[in-house]
Amino acid sequence: MVRRQSILEERKKSIIDKASFCRGDGSGISCGKSSVSGAVSQRACMFSGARVVLNPITDAYHIIHGPIGCASYTWDIRGSLTSGSDTFRTSYSTDLRETDVIFGGEKKLEAAIDELVAQESAKLIFVYGTCIVGVIGDDIDAVCRRAEEKHGIRVIPVKASGFSGTKSQGYKLACDAIMQLVEPYKNIPKVKGINILGDFNLAGEMWIIKSYMKKLGIPVVSTVTGDASCESLLRMPSAQLNIVQCAGSSTYLATRMEEELGIPFIKVSFFGAEDTTNSLIRIAQALGDEAAVRKAVAFTTEEAEAAEAFLQAYRPKFEGKKAAIYVGGGFKAISLIKQFNEMGIETVVVGTQTGKEEDYEIIEHLVNENTVILDDANPSELEEFMLEKGANILVGGVKERPLAYKLGIAFCDHNHERKHALAGFEGIRNFTREVNLSINSPVWEYCR
Amino acid sequence: MGANLKSLNVNPCKMCMPMGAVSAFAGIKNCMSILHGSQGCATYIRRHMATHYNEPVDIASSSLTEHGTVFGGRENLLKGLENLIKLYNPQIIGVATTCLAETIGEDVPAIIREFYDTHPESTVKIVSVASAGYGGTQYEGFNRALWSVVSQADMDPTPNGYMNIVTPMLSPADCRLLKNLLDSMGLKYVLLPDLSENLDGVHVERYERLKGGGTSLADISKMAGARHTIELSLFNGDKFSPGKYLEERYGVPLTKMALPVGIRDTDAFIDTLAALGGARPEALVTERGRYIDAMIDNHKYCADGRAAIFGEPDFVYSMTRLCCENGTVPVIAATGSVCPALKAALEDEVRRAADRALTEGGVVLDDCDFDLLENHAKALGVNLMIGSSDGRRTARRLGVDIVRCAFPIHDRVGGQRIKTLCYEGSLNILDQVANDLLAKKEEGFREELYDRYFDKEQQAAPVAPAQDIPSIPDMLKKTETHPCFNCSGGKYARIHLPIAPKCNIQCNYCVRKYDCPNESRPGVTTSVLAPEEAVERYVAAKSKIPNLSVVGIAGPGDALANFDETRETLRRIRALDPDVTFCLSTNGLLLPLYAQELIDLGVSHITVTVNAVDPEIGAKIYKHIDYMGTRFTGLAAASILLANQLSGLRYLTSRGIICKVNTVLLRGINDTHIEEVVKKVKELGAYISNIMQLIPVKGSAFENLELVSNREIMAIREKCAPELRQMYHCRQCRADAVGTLDEDQSLSFRSPCKSAGARSVTKTKKYAVASKSGSLVDQHFGHAREFYIYESDGAAVRFIEKRLVKNYCNGKEDCFEDKKPAMDSILSAVSDCGYVLALRIGDAPARKLQSLGIEVISTYDRIEDAVLKAAAGQQKKEIC
Repeated sequence: MVRRQSILEERKKSIIDKASFCRGDGSGISCGKSSVSGAVSQRACMFSGARVVLNPITDAYHIIHGPIGCASYTWDIRGSLTSGSDTFRTSYSTDLRETDVIFGGEKKLEAAIDELVAQESAKLIFVYGTCIVGVIGDDIDAVCRRAEEKHGIRVIPVKASGFSGTKSQGYKLACDAIMQLVEPYKNIPKVKGINILGDFNLAGEMWIIKSYMKKLGIPVVSTVTGDASCESLLRMPSAQLNIVQCAGSSTYLATRMEEELGIPFIKVSFFGAEDTTNSLIRIAQALGDEAAVRKAVAFTTEEAEAAEAFLQAYRPKFEGKKAAIYVGGGFKAISLIKQFNEMGIETVVVGTQTGKEEDYEIIEHLVNENTVILDDANPSELEEFMLEKGANILVGGVKERPLAYKLGIAFCDHNHERKHALAGFEGIRNFTREVNLSINSPVWEYCR
Repeated sequence: MGANLKSLNVNPCKMCMPMGAVSAFAGIKNCMSILHGSQGCATYIRRHMATHYNEPVDIASSSLTEHGTVFGGRENLLKGLENLIKLYNPQIIGVATTCLAETIGEDVPAIIREFYDTHPESTVKIVSVASAGYGGTQYEGFNRALWSVVSQADMDPTPNGYMNIVTPMLSPADCRLLKNLLDSMGLKYVLLPDLSENLDGVHVERYERLKGGGTSLADISKMAGARHTIELSLFNGDKFSPGKYLEERYGVPLTKMALPVGIRDTDAFIDTLAALGGARPEALVTERGRYIDAMIDNHKYCADGRAAIFGEPDFVYSMTRLCCENGTVPVIAATGSVCPALKAALEDEVRRAADRALTEGGVVLDDCDFDLLENHAKALGVNLMIGSSDGRRTARRLGVDIVRCAFPIHDRVGGQRIKTLCYEGSLNILDQVANDLLAKKEEGFREELYDRYFDKEQQAAPVAPAQDIPSIPDMLKKTETHPCFNCSGGKYARIHLPIAPKCNIQCNYCVRKYDCPNESRPGVTTSVLAPEEAVERYVAAKSKIPNLSVVGIAGPGDALANFDETRETLRRIRALDPDVTFCLSTNGLLLPLYAQELIDLGVSHITVTVNAVDPEIGAKIYKHIDYMGTRFTGLAAASILLANQLSGLRYLTSRGIICKVNTVLLRGINDTHIEEVVKKVKELGAYISNIMQLIPVKGSAFENLELVSNREIMAIREKCAPELRQMYHCRQCRADAVGTLDEDQSLSFRSPCKSAGARSVTKTKKYAVASKSGSLVDQHFGHAREFYIYESDGAAVRFIEKRLVKNYCNGKEDCFEDKKPAMDSILSAVSDCGYVLALRIGDAPARKLQSLGIEVISTYDRIEDAVLKAAAGQQKKEIC
């Protein structure tokens, strides 16, 4: 365990480096717990977890039931692209005021749904209950049920009071909401094809993955939730196989579908050449589709070679560089470490907001001896360890970017607001270019 | 609230109180804020601010959980205060409550007292502000935080000759402008808050978590002894006005005035400062002169502007007046806050600006969302927006630009450096307004004038083709996209709907059968569909195969022998899709009867199978025909069939229907007769001829007929080619084929479908991999909830399936003990495997596996690599 003056006592169990981990005290990393009060966690809340997973459903109406803040800060927050409706980019909130809090917000919510149905002919509405709704006791289940009966559309409650759980628990709420949506379609006949789970079509990444599936001759039944529509989600139960890209948010959904709909799933990753190659081949194999396996092998061999040639030109520029990673989920951190390895960059600090014990175990195996691993890190810890370990670049979210810059460290945006694709073979090029343009920018020569 | 939706805020034009409170605290020296509530509030606000200011923004949270919500957050807040003091060592802490803390009724002052009681050594000043998110917007939160600071800080009322300047939320650059002005006038002052440094820091060698800028506690204490307070806000009310508090409590005179934006209000501010003893340096006079010069230079461009201004009340007030001074009509002045006073303050101003331009007046709105703003903007005609980047989606839909000069700006850099105050800031805004309008004119005037003045009607309107008769180009186009009529149609897909089971003739080479998914030839289908099922299948296929251009009816029997179904199916599909090409194939027996009806149904392509044009030969090919209730055999049968085929064909082709003639090549029967067939159908107007190989079918009369070689068929086709176009790419499809000719997808549209991964057990030894991630061997054997099963020959690795341990529980209720799977189930999940690959494995299970003849490999590796290595190692062993 790391012992330093500016690390809070309660936080010490959530910070390890490999040397201490291997000492064999067996305690592992402390993770998946509530954030420590006053520690300035980088995490969001249960509501945000549910919101980010469901928000990309393009033709759904997302009503935030609560005071305005939660709607204001999550309005159009993801860079999810759509090939159809734009509805999801509009913010709807009941904007509860003092009197609503005193007298209850159910009536306002009910009226809101009625108006939305009348004016916009909404077919699918998600109603998110935020902190206050959980406290003042609005029965949003009942409101939604009544609205469904009255209007003959789907109105699905997502009870996501921020205090009642972590962001990962919010992901589960979103998955449950999706299952509730497809419930009546559970027994539709199976067709040839797969569902892609846990990709949110940031910068068109879902489209990239779908184009790969097309190359392999594998039909895509439904995408969850990147560029999804209500109608496309309803077809979800007819797929033969689920592939799970963002394991943190969607494994739970895949597991439920495996148990309740008999659709097996495999986890995949499209970050980096290694993961993309393995994933494409494994998908074809899992379907028992020989032709697709052959196509996958041919396609990935060609693309991986091209990517390798591309990387080769950049590797001398990355010699001796070190990376720090602080991202949302464990699976992404793992992919990034591997990707940095492919680039010849050593990862010296790695942390996640919502990683699980198993994720950290894998991370431990992937990194070198002295790498620091953190769960739910705060700015002070990131600052301390990035400086101590001499990180040259930080991969993280918007909040971490200014910190890196203040410390004179390059930065790569690997968050849901980005506007360039990082998945697939295209993503390798974008990622490598981005790392290079920041890590080798001339500005560092003038500010040190 | 919204324009159409009274109970919903649609696209908010405001944020919440805690956002304002922490923004104000950012302007206090060595101050750290903590939000008392759940974790998300702090994170979202940090993200919102970090993107605008491009600065690290650290805000702590008491991270309330379910427990804290039910039993009170006292413990959390006390712990939070201790922790943030350890990490940041601030001199002052701002505790802002959130919706949650206010609703569960937290007594924050009491918790702060308890903190002091239990930490007597602490010198930190803790200020609390009640800022429920539903109590107001960031505008009120900001003001309330300042009031809390002033009313809770220790004050020194000794007169000190200072001036107090209190502001609403400003950009750091504006704070610097304000300070420069006050300094240049030689005034001693306390600026509250001073946002100039903390949210727009410089790059320094050593990073400090608290940046050291902002109004210090010492300066704040001086505010009680100041000689005057100027509060640059007209709409913050009296209740939470810091100036009002200082006036009532300490007798410091208060002047409330607008922000120094535009010529009038900047002049007024400077005049007031001068009256209070400030000097007027020469530079200031020059600056004013330059601003007026710019107003004159820009006025004609600005006069084109119809602006929608949105944001906090003080900002909207100031920008509206700046527009009015420059001839831009403020068509909409809108704030998201509840602020009826704004309307009273601006109404006259806005009306006069409209009168001057002889245009209709604008609207002043409070409690407004972007939906409402957009509605008004569309109705009133807006060509410019002034405010934050939250208006960008509206701006995009309106096709206008935003002059970005308010918080938050998330789609551009430099939010922290935007200047709006005094002559310099006003000039910046004025130039941007003029430039946006100039850019709009420059980009659009050519098209606009062309559209307005050029007479496009002068050109004669093209004559529209008649709708009901398919034109020849139409038919040819359809033919181009028909895979069976055109070789290059291969990229288009067709669907054969198996709705016609019955046949009215018996050919000697044919056996119709069903339930044979793996045989691909005419007459075969897995199942026969009712018309409604056929329509469903079409819809399903169309949604998955966008290039599906053709619907065909190809049996398994004869389309016309099942005419009710054929008619019903085609009619229903036509109702859904007016464009799709209809084709069908027939033996032609009933063609004279139904030809016209087929045309009426919109069938454009028809294939007739004509194997002979000589009844003598035909009699050898057809066993019998069923016609008009009678079964005919021999020559009679062949004659009737032929007569009907030929007259039907002529009828169709003479009415523009594209006909293909299929001919099955039968050695020793019609092989020397083919040229004659082709010649005859050519005469009758056939478009293409398709000479096909016989597929010998078990059980048919021609089961043992010797086949014609492909080379012979090619020779015959080439011989006939000068006579009539030949089809070289026939695949002799199934009656339920779907897809392009090269890629049949009919399996995916049949049901039920075989599930993925199901596969018979092979003799090859299997590798069971314990994996959590699915890409690495990274799971303890004893913790495995699933195994990835692989096969390998040492050269290649093949994934077979994933097994869930709990499916091997043998019905035991206690399969999972303490959330871990029971060892018995794990063992039975891998019992048929030769090898187990796991990250680690206990001694006991390892021995158990060995006793079952299963080899254990502990490793950490990519799955594929690990299996490959294990397999290679195994082979080596076997060779040795």
